[in-house]
Amino acid sequence: MTETILTLILFAMLVAVAFAIIQMRQLFAVVLLSSVFSLLTALLFVIMDAVDVAFTEAAVGAGISTVLMLGTIALTRKRSAERTRSDILPFFVVAVTGAALVYGTLDMPNFGDANAPANAYLRQDYLDRSVTEIDVPNVVTAILASYRGFDTLGETAVVFTAGIGVLLLLGGLAYRRAEDDEES
Amino acid sequence: MMFLVAAIGLLVAMALILVRLFAGPTVYDRIMAGNVFGTKTVLLIGVLGFLSGRPDFLDIAILYALINFIGTIAVLKFFRYRTIGDALPSEQDT
Amino acid sequence: MSAVIDILSWVCIIGGVFFSVVGAIGMLRFPEFWTRLHAASVAESGGMILLVLGMCLQAGWSLILVKLILIGFFLFVTGPTSSHAVANAALVSGQNPVVAKKAKKKRT
Repeated sequence: MTETILTLILFAMLVAVAFAIIQMRQLFAVVLLSSVFSLLTALLFVIMDAVDVAFTEAAVGAGISTVLMLGTIALTRKRSAERTRSDILPFFVVAVTGAALVYGTLDMPNFGDANAPANAYLRQDYLDRSVTEIDVPNVVTAILASYRGFDTLGETAVVFTAGIGVLLLLGGLAYRRAEDDEES
Repeated sequence: MMFLVAAIGLLVAMALILVRLFAGPTVYDRIMAGNVFGTKTVLLIGVLGFLSGRPDFLDIAILYALINFIGTIAVLKFFRYRTIGDALPSEQDT
Repeated sequence: MSAVIDILSWVCIIGGVFFSVVGAIGMLRFPEFWTRLHAASVAESGGMILLVLGMCLQAGWSLILVKLILIGFFLFVTGPTSSHAVANAALVSGQNPVVAKKAKKKRT
């Protein structure tokens, strides 16, 4: 009961922050608000016992992405441009996509459902097998690095590529700007 | 019960700080509010752990305390020098 | 013994919640940035220490206590540091504190 109320309050704050982000024109405030948004998200994850996801959210959402966004602002402008086109078509697309996603969740098992496939036999299976098959005491590590090894490899490749891309973008732009300053 | 009071109090404080974060006339008001909001989040994570009877997840609160500090310092560095990286301002200084 | 600890942690937590909420109200109500900074420090240091102390008393002798002390130490060091950094950056950027006469005028 208390958890439900806490979740509702946090979601209300989340929605308020989201609307404030939409309203803000000053990009720096948007960056600060999005870091607050990620703090609230992580609190929700903690309430749902997804501590590892909350860890990732802390490191990525509140830490790295704030710094990257600030780096981007330093290279571009501080205020977002005024919108001139109408909002109706984007709003329609977003509404339809969101409705489709909500419709998709209807098929999913309830939160913490004991009969869900993940809880019914898969978890016990992994717990039994991983010690003998992989010989790693931590089951989560065994699943991530061995059973889903190729998946993790792909994820790492994606993150690596994204990191190189960001470095090229930020570093390249900064270099060019420094050259411009020297010429002018 | 005790931790319920603490959680409610922290949530009230967070809501009030959010208002200052939205309104904050100067940028520094916003940075200050964001920083205090981060501290409140760390405390709330700890209180939530006690509230649910499993205070073993405090590691994440430690992580948050550190990340929040780094975030604030990065923001302020950005404001003072207009860049995050080291290379640019030192080149311009010379 | 446990009743004494319970009472002590009640006192700490009520005090912490009091300081947190009062600090937040101050941040909302004070007229300009420098006064708000005072309120923020009340919420950030005073409330934080009392809340962590209350949790420590409930934790007993365990690993949780060590983690709580670590959290308290980090926040104790980083909170005032970042407050100082904000104030310093604001001062450097030319945000001068409002002097008494102006403050009176602003309040009306």
